[in-house]
Amino acid sequence: MNYTSLNFILFVALTVLVYFLFPLKKQKWTVLLVASYVFYLFAGYKYVAFILFTTVSTYLFALWINRIGVKSKETLKLNKQTWDRDKKKKFKNSIKHRKRLVMALVLLVNFGILAFLKYYNFFAGSLNDVMGVFGIGFSAPTLKLFLPLGISFYTFQSMGYIVDVYREKVAPEKNIAKLALFVSFFPQIIQGPISFYDQLAHQLYEPHKFDFTRFKYGMELILWGFFKKLIIADRAVVAINTVTADYAAYNGTTLTFTILLYALQLYADFSGGIDISRGVAQIFGIDMVDNFKRPYFAKSINDYWRRWHITLGAWLKNYLFYPLAMSNLFINASKKMKGTKFGSTKAGAHIAKVLPTSIASLIVFLVVGIWHGANWKYVAFGIWNGGIIMISILLKPIFDWVLAKLKINAQSFAYGVFQMLRTFLVVLVGYVFDVAPNFAQAMNTFKLAFVDQSFSVGWSQISELGLDKFDYAIIIFAMIVVFVASVIQERHSSTTIREMLDRKPFALRGLVIFAGLMLVLVFGIYGPGYDPAAFVYMQF
Amino acid sequence: MDELMEILEELRPDVDFENETALIDDGVLDSFDIVALVGELNDAFDIEIKPNNLVPENFNSAKAMMALIEQLQDE
Repeated sequence: MNYTSLNFILFVALTVLVYFLFPLKKQKWTVLLVASYVFYLFAGYKYVAFILFTTVSTYLFALWINRIGVKSKETLKLNKQTWDRDKKKKFKNSIKHRKRLVMALVLLVNFGILAFLKYYNFFAGSLNDVMGVFGIGFSAPTLKLFLPLGISFYTFQSMGYIVDVYREKVAPEKNIAKLALFVSFFPQIIQGPISFYDQLAHQLYEPHKFDFTRFKYGMELILWGFFKKLIIADRAVVAINTVTADYAAYNGTTLTFTILLYALQLYADFSGGIDISRGVAQIFGIDMVDNFKRPYFAKSINDYWRRWHITLGAWLKNYLFYPLAMSNLFINASKKMKGTKFGSTKAGAHIAKVLPTSIASLIVFLVVGIWHGANWKYVAFGIWNGGIIMISILLKPIFDWVLAKLKINAQSFAYGVFQMLRTFLVVLVGYVFDVAPNFAQAMNTFKLAFVDQSFSVGWSQISELGLDKFDYAIIIFAMIVVFVASVIQERHSSTTIREMLDRKPFALRGLVIFAGLMLVLVFGIYGPGYDPAAFVYMQF
Repeated sequence: MDELMEILEELRPDVDFENETALIDDGVLDSFDIVALVGELNDAFDIEIKPNNLVPENFNSAKAMMALIEQLQDE
């Protein structure tokens, strides 16, 4: 069931009705649970076993980890008088190791399932290639694997919860049905946002009363999501699919155009989908964190990753980057470097300070790359993004020096625009890895972008991609609408456009909503049988 | 507090640590700053800041950081 299908709209309407009419106040959350599992079953009954396994293992292991902690505290209290400091410390350490072991076990199993389903064929294929090079006749069989709906998202969210319980940041959920709702909540199961337990869970379980303002804001957000998704993304994707189906046939101009179009399409699709998710949740009275903050206005690639797929970044920062960068290995490496002769120079001190952290960040970006798919081109995508960040941090003193020498005002508007364009270019290079079918073709695209530019050839190719002038006119119009809305939102970050609209006269508000609705209905792309293209992000 | 201010000024001379109260929420300090800061604080105050201490509430202001340091010193 797609978020833009008529079925989904009917499904949400029915769930909203049942939820707010449900007589048992304390059990209201069960409506959401049942709806989430109905939604999940629509995707295929064979998937359910996987999400159930993750739910049950997460539930049991969280309780287990917590129990070790509670028991150890009791023991410590009991022996408070008799044990000396050393013994207490030793005991605490042994408990820490046990807790860590139990946590590692559940993480390994769940991430193992995800990795196996997502990457087995990639590794088997790569292994076979390597074996082939050495003339070894061994070949690992490729398997016909399917990917359960939203497995990356619910696995990350559940494992985040496990770590939070381990860190004693949250208490474990004692009701397995409640935890099942946290894992499977239907507005976010397809493509996130990946939520932290302490931010989302209590909102799911609280009984919410119907609130017209929330309903209105939720509906407006859904409409905005439809606008981006149906008018821009589902239209632009037609041309992109035509190009990727026969990638080698197109010249540098067409490919450059396709990458630019992809930047627009991906943002419209992913952020539009998230708006629909958040809008649906808002109607129920549940605030989900936002996943996007005008990413193409970012002034550095670091900034871009704080604005794009924010919840994945936050997850990785919290559970991978900080533990890595703050581990003894990395901290000691930094200290050791500082202690050397090189480390006592100005440049050396800077490098000693930031190099280990940059390496941790590069590892995180490798994970981001692999998250996107099982292909070497995504590894390159990760290295490109992480590498740029690494270089920009390592060379920051030099950049600052150049800026000072050239007397450039880093706070000026013009320099800000320059930074945005520069960042956007770096992002576009990353997208090439996404669009091109493989690593070699991606590299070839960079070459063609320089040596194979011909506007006449490009123009004739672009007009054959399945979109006519009218389509491009609509895309450009809608893009301008999104751009203007983004500029307004960027300038008024403390409020939302919906709240600003609320303060305008009724007639104007009505007109904007009516126009939006008409545009979506008239210019939205509805495929055969009204089954719009699947969300780009659904398979991740 | 003076020692903390000294470390902060050295880390980011461009930031007004006396008055800022949303260092993390407003993105004034990024994750690289935080990692560098944690290393410095651990050494200077003989504490061990863990990943689970890295919540915005603990680093949004110099005052909040001091509270965290004192709490960890007590443990």
